[in-house]
Amino acid sequence: MFFLKMAIKNLSRHKRRTVITALIIAFAILIYILTEGLMIGMTEMSFDNIINLESGHLQVANQDYWDDRRELPLRDLIRPSAAVESELKQTEGFVDLTKRLNFSVNLNNGIDELPVTGVGIEPGQDSQVFELEQHLVEGRMPEADSSEIIMGAKLAELMDFSLGDFAIMLIRTEEKTFNTIDGEIVGLFNTPHPSLNESNIFSSLSTAQQRLNVEDKISHYVLRLEDQDQAVNAAASLTGRLEGELNAYSWRDAAESLVTMLEMQEIETQVILAIILTMAAVGIVNTVILSALERMEEIGMMKALGMHQREIVYTFMGEAAGIGIIGGVMGIIMGSLGLWIFNLNGIDMSALTGGGDINYGFPLSGTIYAGWEISSFIFVFVYGVFVSILASIFPALWAARKDPVKAIYHR
Amino acid sequence: MSLIKLRGLEKTYQQGKIAVPALRGIDLEIESGEFTTIFGPSGSGKTTLLNMIGCLDKSTAGEIIFDEHSINDLNNKELAEVRRYNLGFIFQSYNLIPVLTAFENVEFAIRLIEKHSKKERRDRVMSLLEEVGLGEMANRRPNELSGGQKQRVAIARALIKEPKLVLADEPTANLDSETSQEVLELMKEMNRESNTTFIFSTHDPQVMDYARRLIEIKDGKITNDQRRD
Ligand SMILES: Nc1ncnc2c1ncn2[C@@H]1O[C@H](COP(=O)(O)OP(=O)(O)OP(=O)(O)O)[C@@H](O)[C@H]1O
Ligand SMILES: [Mg+2]
Repeated sequence: MFFLKMAIKNLSRHKRRTVITALIIAFAILIYILTEGLMIGMTEMSFDNIINLESGHLQVANQDYWDDRRELPLRDLIRPSAAVESELKQTEGFVDLTKRLNFSVNLNNGIDELPVTGVGIEPGQDSQVFELEQHLVEGRMPEADSSEIIMGAKLAELMDFSLGDFAIMLIRTEEKTFNTIDGEIVGLFNTPHPSLNESNIFSSLSTAQQRLNVEDKISHYVLRLEDQDQAVNAAASLTGRLEGELNAYSWRDAAESLVTMLEMQEIETQVILAIILTMAAVGIVNTVILSALERMEEIGMMKALGMHQREIVYTFMGEAAGIGIIGGVMGIIMGSLGLWIFNLNGIDMSALTGGGDINYGFPLSGTIYAGWEISSFIFVFVYGVFVSILASIFPALWAARKDPVKAIYHR
Repeated sequence: MSLIKLRGLEKTYQQGKIAVPALRGIDLEIESGEFTTIFGPSGSGKTTLLNMIGCLDKSTAGEIIFDEHSINDLNNKELAEVRRYNLGFIFQSYNLIPVLTAFENVEFAIRLIEKHSKKERRDRVMSLLEEVGLGEMANRRPNELSGGQKQRVAIARALIKEPKLVLADEPTANLDSETSQEVLELMKEMNRESNTTFIFSTHDPQVMDYARRLIEIKDGKITNDQRRD
């Protein structure tokens, strides 16, 4: 109690110095909150895009298919059955499901050829699970049993297609024989998921199944749940209930490469924080040394009175904690304000990348908004105070160890 | 029974490669309740001697016995303990904590010996401040006090623990002669009332006059030691 009172009074000695040192800490916290906020925002948006446009909440597929899914194989497909579907509908939080068939396509416009991903969807039903339809910028979704297709507006532009054109889709059946779909482009979309815009073509499931010669087989079921947080548990329990090689995978499993990337980013953020707070620590060390130097005679008096080294160190630590707390509060206020200002307009990623829709690893494009978490506010506050206290220990010990006679007659 | 016994005390400062002898064989006994001054020319070793008696510094040779205990072999922490419970200090430049009030500056010292309740502490600090004539100024900070008033706060701070011994190295050097005499008068009164032992150093003959025992030192040796009543 006494050390605390003393510390507060000592902080008032050089208000400007206290504030400047606290500001360094506040600045470190501000940068952390903004970086972390941007990361949180990008993470949430990336996952939203993946869930709403690529993976849904849950995917059910054959285990072997899942392992090779990036190669778009036609092996290990599943044959839909009422039994499996009724099992899927038992999933907690179940909202709806749809079937999809992914296949590899060489898109041809008569001059150039481009490898893309074809996706057979159930018109109508697909929109109960995915948000693709909402991102149509022209035309409509393909109709069932037709050879209608939709593609990204970017892809269409690249291949010189426009609405109503026919695109030749070269495909290979399971038996490796070539086949084509003469797809009539009935819709163009522009989603916030860049890779979808660049390399996905959607057609009717039945048409795809017929041309690929896979009968009524599909590559996977996709389920929508009430809440994305239910997915991980639901996937585990569903995998337990499903027979044979069928497994359920949550959107987290589907986005594993993104999850890894985000973990790396998280480490990067921590490293940035550590570096700036180290700089703040230097400020604290400097302040404590200055304070100790100008208070040498007082320290000498304290030592003469028989005060222990430990007690003298405490007064400086209390002071540093005070600076840390002031800096922490200022940093949190500045950080919140910074996030608020940032989110007034968000940040346009395409502006950052010079107008192009460049894919820099994140499945998102357009305007990004920052997110925030109370836990990271608390973390950075506590961390800032902790670093302040830690930084004060050595200079405080240096001061407290001074020979009392030398300290008293320090001029 | 003597409070302090010095036997053959020597102190040599090492200044680079040169040895500077500051005390060269001091033999001295101080009785409990004495009001003693140490005087002598500048550089004679007054401060050095007071620092030795005050357990602030270690001697080069000889023995210091404080209250029947030899303090020669004590380490820094143990010396701090001796000071904490037995000694009071008054400094030439007051050494008050500028951010604390007069009251808090005094209270600060008594907190170091944890044997009083909060209320007891308050009462003791207030009554002592009144005794030194600062009852009205308890809430002033040092920069709102005159030099003499500051030294009164320092006297209260030295006495609040009821120490066995109070050491004052040139307590009046920064004060004018009238204030110096008031401060000495106060110290003497405290000595009479509480029977606390006082040792102070000075150059000033007027200040010396208050002492009941005068010890003169020159070149690190006692050259004269006289009592008067
Ligand atoms: N830390 C030190 N290092 C080296 N020499 C010292 C040190 N302190 C004191 N001395 C020397 O020891 C001698 C005695 O010094 P001391 O300070 O005890 O004298 P003093 O009687 O208090 O003088 P003054 O009246 O000027 O305060 C002097 O010669 C001084 O130069
Ligand atoms: Mg001196």
